[in-house]
Amino acid sequence: MLSAASSSTIPRLRWAAPRRSQSTGNQWLLLLLRRRCSVSSSFSPPLVTPAAAAAAGSGALEPPDVPRLANAARISLSPEEAEEFAPKIRQVVGWFGQLQAVDLASVEPSLRAGTAAGSSLREDRPETFANRDAIIEAVPSYDDPYIKVPRVLNKE
Amino acid sequence: MPPPLQAQRLLLSQRRLPPSHRRRFTPVSSLPSAPAKTLAPSSSILSIRESLLSGERTAAEITAEYLSRLRRTEPSVRSFIHVADADAEREAEELDRRIASEGQDAVGPLAGVLVGVKDNLCTANMPSTGGSRILDGYRPAYDATAVRRLREAGAIVVGKTNLDEFGMGSTTEGSGFQVTTNPWDDSRVPGGSSGGSASSVSARQCVVSLGSDTGGSVRQPASFCGVVGLKPTYGRVSRFGLMAYASSLDVVGCFGSSVVDTATILSVIAGHDKMDSTSSSHDVRDYKSELVPLDLLESKPLNGMRIGIIQETLGEGVETGVISSIRTAASHLEQLGSVVEEVSLPSFSLGLPAYYILASSEASSNLSRYDGIRYGRQVSADDFNELYGGSRANGLGHEVKMRILMGTYALSAGYYDAYYKRAQQVRTLVKKSFQEALERYDILISPAAPSAAYKIGEKINDPLAMYAGDIMTVNVNLAGLPALVVPCGFVDGGSAGLPVGLQMIGSPFSEGNLLRAGHIFEQTLQNISFVPPLLAES
Repeated sequence: MLSAASSSTIPRLRWAAPRRSQSTGNQWLLLLLRRRCSVSSSFSPPLVTPAAAAAAGSGALEPPDVPRLANAARISLSPEEAEEFAPKIRQVVGWFGQLQAVDLASVEPSLRAGTAAGSSLREDRPETFANRDAIIEAVPSYDDPYIKVPRVLNKE
Repeated sequence: MPPPLQAQRLLLSQRRLPPSHRRRFTPVSSLPSAPAKTLAPSSSILSIRESLLSGERTAAEITAEYLSRLRRTEPSVRSFIHVADADAEREAEELDRRIASEGQDAVGPLAGVLVGVKDNLCTANMPSTGGSRILDGYRPAYDATAVRRLREAGAIVVGKTNLDEFGMGSTTEGSGFQVTTNPWDDSRVPGGSSGGSASSVSARQCVVSLGSDTGGSVRQPASFCGVVGLKPTYGRVSRFGLMAYASSLDVVGCFGSSVVDTATILSVIAGHDKMDSTSSSHDVRDYKSELVPLDLLESKPLNGMRIGIIQETLGEGVETGVISSIRTAASHLEQLGSVVEEVSLPSFSLGLPAYYILASSEASSNLSRYDGIRYGRQVSADDFNELYGGSRANGLGHEVKMRILMGTYALSAGYYDAYYKRAQQVRTLVKKSFQEALERYDILISPAAPSAAYKIGEKINDPLAMYAGDIMTVNVNLAGLPALVVPCGFVDGGSAGLPVGLQMIGSPFSEGNLLRAGHIFEQTLQNISFVPPLLAES
């Protein structure tokens, strides 16, 4: 459920903006899409690689690029809105940075509180949900038995 | 059939005033052993149950009384996004019919009790928006488990209460629909994110309500509105049907006008649920039955209890009025026989940025389901990406967008170690420091917020100032601990003062202990009533 991205084998989202530089360990898939997007620019400055950032110290972490983040989060922001968000986000992320100064060398990360211990497994037996009709009724564009969406890929 | 023994004792401790002089929530102890007059709240749930069993009142009459008060106060308070008055009246009439034909058997533990439900909890066939325009018009296919259990016990859901969108906020100003006001002063916030749930109980628009607490969203509004609020242990109450904000932090909590009512609700909603893999099988007690009535309390009822008052919550940044209310509450607890000492929790201040990193990160993932395709509002678009981007941009509010973007950043490749992982490490430190403190003390106390309710609009443009107010509450969510807030005093403001709540924190699954101590504290508070002035005007 948590999309903890890391330089692992998790394929990057297919519709990512074209990047100008790639780190060698990068196994992301990229498809170039022509987008009629209202985001201000598709230009991304070269990423500081994580290793370089760690070596250079906390200050070398790239500050948030709001248009790129908005694209990744699938929220269309106008250039004005991105302008509005940027200083606030930078301020909060700067405040997050105080954790860099703490010595956490020998501390194990906690995924959760740890209070809900015990087996969380149930029998592997499918059950039918009784109120399927209400689920279908909630779908904005439905054309039985399809959920309608606009075209997914633009042909190039 | 006579009422159960506990109830009888509670009845005896309240002198029945003639109806013209009876104010609903101010019983007077008639026993010579009791000191001066106490204005402590009695159990509304119990008094409803008594009335139905004795035939003194019908469910329809009780519902009509609450609905009339709701309609009178709503233009000012605006607790509810949706009021299900027709359904409530119908359910009350049905209950009366069943009582007429089946007698006592038809009166379940919560029969006739009107409940407000925070709008991020799914209620079948009733609008559930999560406080967001992106779910405008959405009707879930099922009840959240907590709601289902209340309904099975006979409760009547009177409406869906207002909240900060998807639980993100501390004032309820972040709602996509309306601003809720504090019943103590309509120019001030009720707190958040469960602002509507707190204000609805405070204004007596319903008997009890459900909320959710991810970083203080039940406890801080309880403090601001002068009601009892309970955040259970993580895993105590099923999260099935709670619209997820931060899955490792969210819990379903409850509000009542007394500790007894809050305890009654907890027993009904708590317990393992196979639909929530993080719910605990820890046994659920009948919490209410463990609460000793005032007239049966010994003179030092908290004898032997060791209480730690958290040093970091009484210093700089906390209003003097709040500090003095908490210190007064601490002396009161000492008079009841406990030992109160100051205790320091190392890493306390680190909890706040760690919380916001974890919560934003988990939110960025949890809210990706609001895609305009399977439910909710859809913006028309020619292109798939535009459908996503446009629907989300149109339907999601400002604060939610901010947190999604921050979370997306914190989880990006290369930043995970710097932010998310470090926040999880801080989480370990916070858990450990609570654990060590709770080995030495039975409960820890602190304020629930650094101030009383502030003015509407005061913090809306400064995110860090708003986040700073959560310092008293977030660490408890990081550690998954239970916490109870009980109104303890006032600071100046409004026409009759602004309430301040005392937060009591315990070790995992120690709700029974917290409720017991909270109940004793509440019942022995002298000459303080937490009924807002807007009700006295009736």
